[in-house]
Amino acid sequence: MSFLKKPKTCVFLLFIFVLLLSILGALQKGAFPIHTEVWLSLLTGEHPLFKSSQNGDIYILWYLRIPRVMLAVLMGAALGLAGTLVQGLFRNPLADPSLLGVTTGAASAAALTIVFCSGDRIAMFGMAKIWILPIMSFLGAFLTCMTLNVSSKWLASGSISGLLLLGIALNALGVSIIGLCTYLATDEQLRNLSFWTLGSLAGANWTMVVMMWLMLVIVYVCSSRLSPRLNALSLGEVTAAHLGIVVSRLRWSISVMVALLAGLSVAFCGVIGFIGLIAPHLARAVIGADQRVLLPLSMLMGALLMLTADTIARTIVIPAEVPVGIFTALLGSPFLIVLLRTRRHRIG
Amino acid sequence: MTMLRLDAVVKKLGRHSLGPYSLCIQHNECVAIVGPNGAGKSTLLKLMSGTYRANTGRIIFNHRPLDCWTSQALSEKRAVLSQFQEFAFALPARIVIGLGRVARNTDPDHHQIVSQAAGLLGLTHHLDQTIDTLSGGELARVHLARVVAQLWDVEHGFILMDEPMAAVDPGCQDFLLETLMGFARLRKHAVIAVMHDLNHALRYFNRLVLVHPTGKLEIVTSGQEAKNALEHLFKVRLSCLKDEQGDLVMLPLRGQRQRTG
Amino acid sequence: MRRITPARLPETLAFLMRRRALGRLGTIGALAMSQSMHAKSVGNRPPRIVSVGGALTEIVYALEAQSCLVGVDSTSSFPHQAQLLPQVGYARRLSAEGILALSPTSVLVTEEAGPPEVLRQVSNVGVPVEVLDSGYRFEGLVQRIARIGRLLSTEAKTVALIERLSLAWSEVCLSVSHHTTIRPRVLFLFAHSTSRLMASGIQTGAHAMIEYAGAINATSDFTGFKPLTPESLIAARPDVILLTEHGFKAMGERSSVLKLPGLSQTPAGRAQRIAVMDASLLLGFGPRLPMAVQQLSEQFRTSVTT
Repeated sequence: MSFLKKPKTCVFLLFIFVLLLSILGALQKGAFPIHTEVWLSLLTGEHPLFKSSQNGDIYILWYLRIPRVMLAVLMGAALGLAGTLVQGLFRNPLADPSLLGVTTGAASAAALTIVFCSGDRIAMFGMAKIWILPIMSFLGAFLTCMTLNVSSKWLASGSISGLLLLGIALNALGVSIIGLCTYLATDEQLRNLSFWTLGSLAGANWTMVVMMWLMLVIVYVCSSRLSPRLNALSLGEVTAAHLGIVVSRLRWSISVMVALLAGLSVAFCGVIGFIGLIAPHLARAVIGADQRVLLPLSMLMGALLMLTADTIARTIVIPAEVPVGIFTALLGSPFLIVLLRTRRHRIG
Repeated sequence: MTMLRLDAVVKKLGRHSLGPYSLCIQHNECVAIVGPNGAGKSTLLKLMSGTYRANTGRIIFNHRPLDCWTSQALSEKRAVLSQFQEFAFALPARIVIGLGRVARNTDPDHHQIVSQAAGLLGLTHHLDQTIDTLSGGELARVHLARVVAQLWDVEHGFILMDEPMAAVDPGCQDFLLETLMGFARLRKHAVIAVMHDLNHALRYFNRLVLVHPTGKLEIVTSGQEAKNALEHLFKVRLSCLKDEQGDLVMLPLRGQRQRTG
Repeated sequence: MRRITPARLPETLAFLMRRRALGRLGTIGALAMSQSMHAKSVGNRPPRIVSVGGALTEIVYALEAQSCLVGVDSTSSFPHQAQLLPQVGYARRLSAEGILALSPTSVLVTEEAGPPEVLRQVSNVGVPVEVLDSGYRFEGLVQRIARIGRLLSTEAKTVALIERLSLAWSEVCLSVSHHTTIRPRVLFLFAHSTSRLMASGIQTGAHAMIEYAGAINATSDFTGFKPLTPESLIAARPDVILLTEHGFKAMGERSSVLKLPGLSQTPAGRAQRIAVMDASLLLGFGPRLPMAVQQLSEQFRTSVTT
């Protein structure tokens, strides 16, 4: 088996290398021109924490651009991982957290929080926001996952279109909740709400990066331990049960993980769709359907996709910025249409 | 020694009530379940595998009620091959065969066992192919290999199969059945299979469980003695012959369908 | 009215603030004054201003300091030269790096700029972000001019502008007050999307303008913007419908406005009285405010008397 792993190891090394190159490239691109001397001084160990405008270049690099690039990588990895898990959970290659309404569920929970829990509005956007919004987003995403789990049992086994229809219904519900919140919101709350519908990575900071990284590591470790069982689940729930897997427990665990990933992503950056659909597909085309290697490669693919999309989004109309959700949708919708065409014999 | 016992088990499916079934399966025996369509063969098998829970009655497996077994413990003692096998993603055959052992906590000989199980069923050259590129017969063999791999290092296990030869062409059916039964005999596994082909049932199994549409179970020894019971079950006259190798063959006679009494 | 001199500027501002004591405005004003003092003391570089808000851009032009502008937002459409400046995009979705790339010395924003994190990041670099809220009052406009004037160190022009505007304002107020016998009920319609029409309650710019123009806001029983149902439209009994030019164009033509469900049952619908005004003029609360109020009240009067 060791000789078989070699080609797969090469694939991983290649993509990690490409990702590192992309990160370096993305760090150099941006509205603010950063000169080579600044880069050199950073490498020679000049303390990067100066806040005064004399070292504005380093400040921008350290507090704006690096966190932004890091967050794009981590968000992409999180969404890629969430997409793979969702596809494995529902045994459906067209599943995606945004298509199935999970991200909208997270966003509507966040919207409800903003509108109904803004007792002290100033605190809302300070410390409290760091914890309350991600937790509420997670709960919204988790509730949506559980609804999908329960409702998917009513569908015919292997029905792809049925699951997507469920997703349409849940998306519509989430959108109407957000609409209700928009109606009830004060002007100040509205400013925050408009952030959710089209996601963007503006406002990235180190706190978000650290939280995202921690959560990603935890979820990845847990999901990689479950990946053989996800493989078994692809044979059907009955067969998986015969193979010794407690299917309901597996579904719960995967749902919690997907909700964590989707919830935190939405809490920090709003709704960004399609990465969870495209990344697993590309990864599967490269390395096959074995979840043990698919999960990490989807993360790499997702990171690359998001990094590319965000770099374009923040450099294409300098000094303005396009919300990255627009690019992922522009990329993702045709991809989904092509996918539907190539899989048309299996849509039931 | 009894491996599996059903005591007056009844299963309600919608408005239909199937049973009561009472049955004993011994260690290391091979039992075929036969009966007309819709009689409840698959339901009986699903009750025995634990897929269905009985509404009334008890099912005892290895001296413990079936409900008390955890999924994991059960998977180390019994393997199930359902009638319809679906797959959502195109995994390589090697991994699908290996999934038979997915629930084990430690599996040091995993790769070796997978290779050996594949070799037993003639799949050595197909191991790295993805299952969506395999033919129906090859896929059936992959699932059989999975079952074999699951109970490779266990003795006195239990194999349940629902029409295992449905997708296999006639040329391979005997080879696969012989291989499977040989494996079961060696490891002293009990085998219960729903069989559509009467002659396979007669040739490879010791006992036959006849499932009547009324819910009655009739247990007969496999062989000439089963002729009358089978004729009564399928409402057709059977002709008993011996083929060139001396094996018993039963063929339904043309135009001899008995009128229901 | 006493002549406003530079020496008397703080005094005048305090006087104005006492007249319209909006606590929030006062805090912002105090903050702004201390910050603008700081800005003035930072070097003698010519100021580089990014302006997010059409009215703020207009004020800069009115103070003849347009050479200081290095970037504007998408609503800065007047005067036309402003549209040639680098665009920082939509006010609610600013980009920190984008703004900083223009090397501004300060950023002027209205209260609707966002996201808040981006504004924080910009100010953390050392570029002060001045939030200039008008409070939908003329006094707020004066505050805005005063603060911007301090920032640009154009005391003379600031004073002259404030004086000019105050004169124009008092004339307009006088002219409007002469016509208080006829106070039409005006309904402001804002097209949130093609299918949804919103009406303006109190605490909005439209409400303030309607009141300034000597009319009555026909829907003043709620705060902010709310969707309009045909029933509430009839119950409001408007005499005139007020639309922005953009909203009017979105509806197509006059007849499609008149076809709004329920409108035919109102005095405005029966007499077909529609008033239209450019959005930045109507709701900007910039230097064209006296002119806007004048035009608006004339529109109301002519449409009512026909």
